[in-house]
Amino acid sequence: MASGQVILYTPYTTISVSPGDAIEYAVDVINKSDQVFNGDIRVIGIPRTWTYTLKGGGYTVSRIAVLPDDKKTLSLRVEVPFQVNKGAYTFRLSAGDSASLPLTVKVTEMGSSETEFTADQSNMQGNANATFTYRATLKNRTIDKQLYALMANAPRGWTVTFKADYNPVTSVELEPNTTKEITIEVKPPKEIKAGTYKIPVRAVTGSTSASMELEAVVTGNYEMSLTTPTGLLSTKITAGGKQKIGLTVRNTGSADLTDIEMKATAPSKWQVTFEPEKIDKLAPGNETTVYATIQADKKAIPGDYVVEMRASTPETTSQLSFRVMVKTPLIWGWVGVLVILAAIGGVVYLFRKFGRR
Amino acid sequence: MKEVYIMNDKRWNHFFKKYRPHDAVAERPSAFTHKTNIIHPFWVMVSKEISDQVRSWRFIIMAALIALTCLGSLYAALAQFGKQSGSAEDAFFFLNLFTLSDGTLPPFTVFISFLGPLLGISLGFDAINSEQNRGTLSRLLSQPIYRDYVINSKFVADLIVISTLFVALGLLVLGSGLIALGIPPTADELSRLIFFILISIIYVAFWLNLSILFSVVFRQAATSALSGIAIWLFFSIFYSMIVDLLARAIAPKGMLTEGQAVQFQNFVLGLMRFNPGQLFSDATITLLMPSVRSLGALTMEQLEGALPTPLPIGQSLLMVWPQVTGLIAGSILLFGLGYYLFMRREIRPR
Repeated sequence: MASGQVILYTPYTTISVSPGDAIEYAVDVINKSDQVFNGDIRVIGIPRTWTYTLKGGGYTVSRIAVLPDDKKTLSLRVEVPFQVNKGAYTFRLSAGDSASLPLTVKVTEMGSSETEFTADQSNMQGNANATFTYRATLKNRTIDKQLYALMANAPRGWTVTFKADYNPVTSVELEPNTTKEITIEVKPPKEIKAGTYKIPVRAVTGSTSASMELEAVVTGNYEMSLTTPTGLLSTKITAGGKQKIGLTVRNTGSADLTDIEMKATAPSKWQVTFEPEKIDKLAPGNETTVYATIQADKKAIPGDYVVEMRASTPETTSQLSFRVMVKTPLIWGWVGVLVILAAIGGVVYLFRKFGRR
Repeated sequence: MKEVYIMNDKRWNHFFKKYRPHDAVAERPSAFTHKTNIIHPFWVMVSKEISDQVRSWRFIIMAALIALTCLGSLYAALAQFGKQSGSAEDAFFFLNLFTLSDGTLPPFTVFISFLGPLLGISLGFDAINSEQNRGTLSRLLSQPIYRDYVINSKFVADLIVISTLFVALGLLVLGSGLIALGIPPTADELSRLIFFILISIIYVAFWLNLSILFSVVFRQAATSALSGIAIWLFFSIFYSMIVDLLARAIAPKGMLTEGQAVQFQNFVLGLMRFNPGQLFSDATITLLMPSVRSLGALTMEQLEGALPTPLPIGQSLLMVWPQVTGLIAGSILLFGLGYYLFMRREIRPR
């Protein structure tokens, strides 16, 4: 028996894999002798938890025969389990008594039987009105089918929505050794202060769980509202007269507003002055009172007019339309009454002088 | 002369029966307990004048003419209501009754401004001179009454007749409007209507005073009536033509700034306002169309930022107050003048 005449060949004899991967070897059995080779083919020294299959021509084989000066190709599939220690594992493939092929598998990381819940980008930035959308991956690395409940432990006022395949979900089912893309949408409360917020999310089953921490960096938003304390947006003015109106400027955003300027658009020859004209700083949620003095034109005709008032910063602006009813001064009415009284007085004088003689 | 006295006796018979102060005292058994039963002589005269007026043909004809035109314009306005797209939710829907027109008949206000003077003139043109011509004036004045009772009672009686007529017409339009539209007027609309009727009465009273003045000045009733009608025609037809001619003559040449144009327009309007008819139409338009905010020309500057909203009634009234003042003061002035001339007149029995 020319034992040296049978060779086992595969090009990649040392392979690096992650736990849970499967390796496909193509192994050539070459017979260089002048006799037919017929012998057992075996895998020796493979760890017990690892599984392998040896196939040739579509069949699982355990013995192989090769003609002289011929070769047969076998395929060896080795499945590395999740639960495996990091390190190099060597096993041999042997054919008959003589031929043997050492194969080395390097497991590059520590394997586990756990669930993995990860996000590509767990830190996001946006303003208080934005929705933070995280893309997460849930991996079931256990040997069983798992039903994961998805939970978030967000601060009060936050809304967290899990979505799988574009549908909002609260739990997902995963076959062993499969992954699922999960989208997590996080909405901060409206009036939140600027800052970094951590949102722990978990995927839990009875036997296993995985968690990660999402980070939302909320930048302040700039919003403000301009109203009157009573909500009344109209007033009356006598033509040429003045009217003082209290206005409330409120910072409804989440960042400080600085240098708020008060401006007004009024009909021509009207004057609108503000006291104060400028607000240096207004903290979120705070409000301050500004007094506007509207002076109508002396020659304004009676009726309704619009006066637009604005509070503006470079970031935001708030506008208010004020309806001003102009009344004509009563003085000319009294002059008319005087004219009539004078006329009546004249007639009374005539009565006195001529009537009662 | 004798005949005249007989006729006049008939005419005043009722009056003399009703009021003879010296007789009355004698007839009265309990003068102190029944004091209230005695009608003041002035009101006796007024009631006599009223009954004279409402029975006279000229008043019946004038009242019928005004009532007919009123009904005609009311009919036209109601016909126009159907064609108008405006809905009942529009403010001042009801006031359209007085101002709408379908083009064939002018609206009610225009009729009043045209026929009102004629009514005033017809009521007053022979107030004093006819009495004088009949010779009843001296007879009347021989009674123990003040002389000015004569002219005052005539004025008051005519004013009562006019007021009654206009209030009746206003209520007629209001009632027909209620039947036809089924929508009651708002308080604001109602007060505008009341002021409209008041101003109409004042306007007619102006012409009444003018004709009473003429009846004092001119001895002949015909002269007095014709002068009144001449003035009425002058103001209602020729005055605006003359102002137009004058305005064209003195219009500034070349390009005008907006301010100059407005100033010129307002000057022309000022000239127009010497016409009492213009004062009346200014006042009624402002009262019946609450959206009218100014009667003169305006610069664009004044309109900036203005909202097209109706004025409250107080503001509308303040706006037309100068016009109303003019009408009231004018009529008082005319009355005063007539009074003065009448009191200074020498009245002799014929």
